[in-house]
Amino acid sequence: MGGVLVFAVAIRLSSPGRVAWLQAAIIVFGSLVIQALPFVLVGALAAAAIEVFVPLGTLEKLTLLPRPLQLPAAALAGIAFPICECGSVPVARRLAAKGLMPSAAITFMLAAPVVNPVVIASTFVAYRGRGPLWTMVGGRFALGLLTAIVVGWVLGGRTKDELMKPGGPDGAEQVEFGRPEPRWRTFFVHLGNDFLFMGRFLLLGATVAAVVQTFLPQEIVTSLARVPFLSILVMMALAGLLSLCSESDAFIAASFVQFGPGAQLAFLVFGPMVDLKLAAIYAGTFRKGVARAICLTTALVVFGAALWVTVIAG
Amino acid sequence: MSLAARARAVAGPSAPDRVRRTWSQARLFGGVVLGMWAVMFWFLFLSGRVYLYLSTRTAWVVPVGAVLLTLAAVGRLAASRVPAADYLRRREALVLTLMVLPVIVVLVLPPATLGTFSAAKKTRFSSVNLRTFYGEITSTSEITLLSVAAGQTSDAGSEALAKRAGSDVDFVGFVTRYADTPADELLLTRYVITCCVADATITQVRVVNVSPGQFEPNDWIEVKGQIYPLGREVIVNATSVAGVPRPAKPYLTP
Repeated sequence: MGGVLVFAVAIRLSSPGRVAWLQAAIIVFGSLVIQALPFVLVGALAAAAIEVFVPLGTLEKLTLLPRPLQLPAAALAGIAFPICECGSVPVARRLAAKGLMPSAAITFMLAAPVVNPVVIASTFVAYRGRGPLWTMVGGRFALGLLTAIVVGWVLGGRTKDELMKPGGPDGAEQVEFGRPEPRWRTFFVHLGNDFLFMGRFLLLGATVAAVVQTFLPQEIVTSLARVPFLSILVMMALAGLLSLCSESDAFIAASFVQFGPGAQLAFLVFGPMVDLKLAAIYAGTFRKGVARAICLTTALVVFGAALWVTVIAG
Repeated sequence: MSLAARARAVAGPSAPDRVRRTWSQARLFGGVVLGMWAVMFWFLFLSGRVYLYLSTRTAWVVPVGAVLLTLAAVGRLAASRVPAADYLRRREALVLTLMVLPVIVVLVLPPATLGTFSAAKKTRFSSVNLRTFYGEITSTSEITLLSVAAGQTSDAGSEALAKRAGSDVDFVGFVTRYADTPADELLLTRYVITCCVADATITQVRVVNVSPGQFEPNDWIEVKGQIYPLGREVIVNATSVAGVPRPAKPYLTP
């Protein structure tokens, strides 16, 4: 507590506002965190509800579905979950803990921030009145589903222990209760644990994203727009660096008028699945090879599909 | 049931059965962190500083976040009494402390907005549809910084703006100057955000006929004058330039 007070006094006296880049970085960091944190909390609420109120093994019934249908079913389930990418990670973790095939949980995690109705509606609004409206809206939905399913397929039938790091949000909870606690207590403990676990990675990712945003001149990026291959890669890299919320990124994608529909589509699908803040969250949630496989597979599928759209739509 | 047995049932477990509860450090400290985040969200909401970070379109997440964080903090603190003592590991305590620092930064630092430094690194705002979002620029419509920005990004918009050459405008923004900006000119800049400051783009007009040295970069000013669109650049011939306080909602939202 003393250290926090000393920090408060020191930061007030040092007036970082006098340093332009530091002030800009603090403002961008603050905006990313303030916008994303409530969604992380909503995700943690859903995750805690699943943990406490869904009986163990309930979701194992989904594994009775024919295997080729499990991943598409998980991806389509994302339609019913209108939150952005930060909130879907704790939910996926809990779904896996409750018996859902882990690769299906990851498919759900990747699909939900791209295909949910709020995101699709914001994409429609951002591109309304423009030529590639339906390419962007339909393309985002279809490519979001496809990418999530392919990633799930690549991860295959690996077990939860093979995919996820041990410990996790409840790792610090070592209390032996003797007898079961009331449900409300368990609910709030899981809610807090999930939020505090995901929140730390959000803060880490937002810090890196804020520094990148502060120093990266966007004009450099737009100068690369005319080269088809490069433009897709640039937009994917930009989506990863900017770490925007999936509910707002369509407006930014639409503002990059120099880039074609394929490159903009890559921005819209890649960003909600792989960005700096998510990379930090993935690193804390999944085993190293798994986080790498998610990022690489997503990049390859999105790049390939965006290239195809570029050829078809110009 | 005898009276004694009924009394025991009402009183709860007998002394040896009763569980002595103690505070869980992990739950307690976590609850405090949640509580501090809740305080920050309430502060942003009640002070109006939410608009220094978020757009008018997304500002609703702050009161919602404040309520949810308060519930989460209260619920966790209420669940912090446990049968057996637990101790917070040093590493976990450090992480939780680090999680509080952003709260301190937001609460302690004076209010600030993006300024000239970032303007040089942002792309121009691009309209997705001039007519849908800002109304058509007609012979009588009001010309705002947003409609100017939207007009600058399409041929139709540029033509519509060009027809309004000489119209009176009244813009509020902050002063931006680059190395090649003449002394009697300045760039009036305003950020446009859709969700939060992270997605900021800029809208900018060149103001001419300004007294040299009157304003510094980042000063907020109100410019009145006539607008003269030249292709994709918009020039305002100032009839008056006055310093104004920073608006409560410094960012524009389409």
